[in-house]
Amino acid sequence: MTTAAAYTWSRDPGSAHVSADGTVTWPAAKLTPGEDDHAALAVAVAIGGSEGVVGVTLGAGDASWALARKATRAIVVSDAPLGDDDAATGAVLAAAARRAGADDVVVVGDSEAHPGVAPAVAGHLGWPIMLGVTSAQRIDGRVHVTRQVAGVEETVAITPPVVLGVTAVSVERSAPGMKEMLAARKRPVEKVTVAELGLEQRAALHPTTTRCPEATRARIFDGDPDRAAADLVAFLRSEGVA
Amino acid sequence: MGNDVWLIVTDPADLAVLPRVQNLGPVTALVIGDRELADLASRAVAAVQWIETADAVPAEAYVAAAAQSAAAATPRVIACSGAPASRAVLGAVAARCSAPLLPAVAGVTSDGAGVVVERTAIQGAVIATYRLTSPVCVVLVPDETAAGSVPEPATVVAAPSAAVAAMQVVSRVATAKASGLADAARVVSVGRGVRSRADLGMVEELAGALDAAVACSMPVADDLGWFPKDRYVGRSGQCIAPRLYVAVGISGAPQHLEGIRGAKVVVAINSDPDAAIFRAADCGVVGDLYEVVPALTAALAAAHR
Repeated sequence: MTTAAAYTWSRDPGSAHVSADGTVTWPAAKLTPGEDDHAALAVAVAIGGSEGVVGVTLGAGDASWALARKATRAIVVSDAPLGDDDAATGAVLAAAARRAGADDVVVVGDSEAHPGVAPAVAGHLGWPIMLGVTSAQRIDGRVHVTRQVAGVEETVAITPPVVLGVTAVSVERSAPGMKEMLAARKRPVEKVTVAELGLEQRAALHPTTTRCPEATRARIFDGDPDRAAADLVAFLRSEGVA
Repeated sequence: MGNDVWLIVTDPADLAVLPRVQNLGPVTALVIGDRELADLASRAVAAVQWIETADAVPAEAYVAAAAQSAAAATPRVIACSGAPASRAVLGAVAARCSAPLLPAVAGVTSDGAGVVVERTAIQGAVIATYRLTSPVCVVLVPDETAAGSVPEPATVVAAPSAAVAAMQVVSRVATAKASGLADAARVVSVGRGVRSRADLGMVEELAGALDAAVACSMPVADDLGWFPKDRYVGRSGQCIAPRLYVAVGISGAPQHLEGIRGAKVVVAINSDPDAAIFRAADCGVVGDLYEVVPALTAALAAAHR
């Protein structure tokens, strides 16, 4: 059984510069994995099948990131750019996971920024999916996943194959050290193209325009702290909440 | 292709996004859940297709059948909220229809044969516009305006649900109830801006003045261990809907903001005027929380005298 961990790298929104007219520029080319990807990979490793975990990524995704975190091999779709269409991203990741031989569980970070990627991976694989997963374990051939739903911790038993969308409940506690990074370089990385996956090459979807949102609706009380606090209390009482 | 809009409904939260697509034409709700949810949807939309879920079987088990029903109707827009099971259906529909799937969508309008989609991007710093040919799948952000009602409740029609994935709910444990956050009318929440555990007393005094429960952001529970994990608010923690939420020293990471979408009034106290929390807040104070929080506690005490 082969388990896959699919992930993407994208620009860090915190490094974007937004002009007054809404134009977005990226002074720094800093790329980062999704905020939930480390947790997804940890889940994949925890429940990994007999053939280990294969890291699956596209475009600027760094294969060594997964390999340094116990993935045994990686596959990169080198000519598939990351756009805003989560379905297109999911289609490429699903095809790459299939090529990698994933036949058991595909784990994807269920990110706030791209909440449609994991569902689209499942859609293109034709597999069931469970989202918002925070942990998983194998019991008697089934995968038992835990998630938070509306103030309830729910555990669901699923018979693979299945796609799991994982939500991180913590930041990554221990990043790989030099030893793991060096070991990662020795593990196999397969680079494939969109055409080799049998997919049609499409341009990444980007917006036609961007603009700044209407002025923030937050009413700001500033200046002297005592005065600001008194004004804030008056506002809260007028709203009937204090 | 049809001209209508389909809304995936697995949770009442899905109906909160309805106002964002009602301008496009008649909305059909594809409900995966119990009869109560189907009836709720019938009072808001033109038509209801209903897939009834069995006991201890999650809505995700019915994704294939739901996607087949939605795709067969060839709607031009298929929408849902961020509810997990609804997104699961949306991904399957997008794959079946070869449709794009865009998240964080705030508006969809007609544009001849296609649609214009507006979504928030760069953590809410910009509105991005896309012109797309139909069909298109969208994850909508909630809309605070009330959905337009229909004159008569729509007839609830049972949809085929033959194929069910092998999933079974093994256990369900209420965590929000245990922490007391679920029912709290007011919540004061602690972020990394609070420098020391010893300073929590200052925040607890504010909570006492507001008769509020105390919560925190994920790093405060996870990294610092100042609170039990059932007290952190966010997408992977507690999603709460108090009447008042006061964020003290919280920057406003997306995963945290998702946990307070249901709050009526959000107050931010932060020294960084560009912090994302202010984009989600109704009001706030830009300043040093070590000065603002005691001042606010004192102002509340004075107001109650």
